[in-house]
Amino acid sequence: MVSKKFVVQNEQGLHMRPAGVLAKAVTKFESDVTIVYNDKKINAKSLLNIIGACIKYGSEIELVCEGPDEEAALAHATELIESGLGE
Amino acid sequence: MYKGIGASAGIGIGKVVIIKEQELNYTKTTITDKDAEKKRLADAIDVFVEKTTALAESMKVTAGEAEAEILQGHIMMIQDPAISEQIEQKIDEESINAEAAVEEACDFFAMIFSMAEDELTQQRASDLGDIKTRLIKILLGVEETDIGAAPAGTIFVAEDLTPSMTAGFVPENIEGVLTEIGGKTSHSAIICRSMEIPAVLSIPEITTIVKDGDIVVLDGSTGEVYINPEESVLEEYKAKRDAYLEAKAALAKFVGKPSQTADGHVVELVCNIGGPDEAPGVLERDGEGVGLFRTEFLFMDSDSIPSEESQFEAYKTVAETLEGKPVIIRTLDIGGDKALPYLGLPTEENPFLGFRAVRFCLKRIDDIYKPQLRALLRASAYGKIRIMVPLVTCVDELRAVKAIIEDLKAELDAEGIAYDKDIKVGVMMETAAASLIADILAEEADFFSIGTNDLTGYTMAADRGNPDVAYLYSTYNPAVLRSIRNIIAAANKEGIMAGMCGEAAADPLMIPLLLAFGLNEFSVSATSVLQARKTMSLWTMDECKALAEEAMSLKTEAEVKALLEERARS
Repeated sequence: MVSKKFVVQNEQGLHMRPAGVLAKAVTKFESDVTIVYNDKKINAKSLLNIIGACIKYGSEIELVCEGPDEEAALAHATELIESGLGE
Repeated sequence: MYKGIGASAGIGIGKVVIIKEQELNYTKTTITDKDAEKKRLADAIDVFVEKTTALAESMKVTAGEAEAEILQGHIMMIQDPAISEQIEQKIDEESINAEAAVEEACDFFAMIFSMAEDELTQQRASDLGDIKTRLIKILLGVEETDIGAAPAGTIFVAEDLTPSMTAGFVPENIEGVLTEIGGKTSHSAIICRSMEIPAVLSIPEITTIVKDGDIVVLDGSTGEVYINPEESVLEEYKAKRDAYLEAKAALAKFVGKPSQTADGHVVELVCNIGGPDEAPGVLERDGEGVGLFRTEFLFMDSDSIPSEESQFEAYKTVAETLEGKPVIIRTLDIGGDKALPYLGLPTEENPFLGFRAVRFCLKRIDDIYKPQLRALLRASAYGKIRIMVPLVTCVDELRAVKAIIEDLKAELDAEGIAYDKDIKVGVMMETAAASLIADILAEEADFFSIGTNDLTGYTMAADRGNPDVAYLYSTYNPAVLRSIRNIIAAANKEGIMAGMCGEAAADPLMIPLLLAFGLNEFSVSATSVLQARKTMSLWTMDECKALAEEAMSLKTEAEVKALLEERARS
């Protein structure tokens, strides 16, 4: 299991667009990808679950990847999050 | 006359076409062949994706990229594992028909979203409603109404405008929109504004009050709606509409043009913002930068001191969004009048003359001021940030802030963190004291920005919110005008930028005076940019100077105001 913490940089939080970019990207990996936010665990492969969690701008989240391709999944997700998830 | 929420400016005059939600007639039934039902579902989703993709493409043209994205969002949502798995599971476990399964799953998620705290997430609930309706129509084989077929001069009336409805809009044919629900931030409002279609939302029962073919006049700014009005009302609004469209076209000419007088004297025209979410609006409205970025939002939206990190992200975002255009960020300007218990601000008898802004920050250096200044310095590596100090009354305060900044620069150097080594530090000129020592401050500040709102209040010793004395609160008072002129002159003498971020910068009566005084930078609200640019273009510098000379020889506020109004140009 590998994980990394991030601060959400997107102005409107993880709403539709950035959530979609993230979900679409991590869905391709075999590993489970979870966002831990305020002690809640959210399936990062589901856009609706991410939106439903209302993760706001400036929040701290932890991305946890577990499975055969966990390193690759985390690396890819890190790159996307740090470059603003398409925003 | 009916009144709703004016959600998209403009006057709409036309004939009603009611968009009715068709009854979706189906019942929840038990099915026997689960695989067949799941195949029906999968096929319907394929059709949904295909149709929605086509709609999104056509929307890019009629409404723009951002609006078309709403439809792309629908595609992502229906393909989301959370929802698709739930629908299939219902078919498997409950043996119900696809229509019922879709309805239940969509309603479930819609309910979760509608209970969220923020508006943006709540709006996703209506997205799910739209997806549900359209997917079920596909399953039932029901045809969508052809919105594109509406004739020219149409006023659409509906309960709510769904993104798929608006995808069918032919904007040239649509004079206006009326709905029963919605507000300024709902889909309908956003789409209408980007298509520049006047809209009034939130008129209960409007779909039953009007009938197809009725003549409607609507005012998308005031929210007023007239149904089958008398000839006189109709004529009145036709004239208003013509005036509105003419004014709009006149302003459109100024997009992308330099901000200058008729004889080519160029100034900077920038915007005031209260948070990172307003930054894109600056560029959309053709602002040339940010003249005041108020940072209080970070502290207001929090129940503890915002971390350096979260502040850094906010400042960096704005610096990057503005793509190298200047961004003047004002350090924390807050006092006891705002109830923020975590800050430990005292309850005072005179909060506006009290422990606030820079005075407060200089006594809270370690836990409040340094984190903010460090965040600003770090963010300065990502754009063109300038730091501005609020409520300065003596040069000691400016020196103290600059000393802290020098210490932080040394810290960052030691840590190997990048920042703008030449970052400019300026003063917000908003007190009588600052105005009187403007020459002293100009020697040590990199720029001035005049906050006319507070400058007027402090100079006239009057509270604009107090009805008994509000009459004294006027920028046209000779005392205030002399302060402004003095401040700008001191800046010009030292060769530093003289800017203004108060309301007076956008005032067409003040603009010629400010130009005459030598103001270099005007910071206004994003929606005022084009109008301010237009006003400037109507005056030559000589004309401005002549007007200023006359105005400054007058002795009362009333005389000044009367003169400026008489000579006003628009």
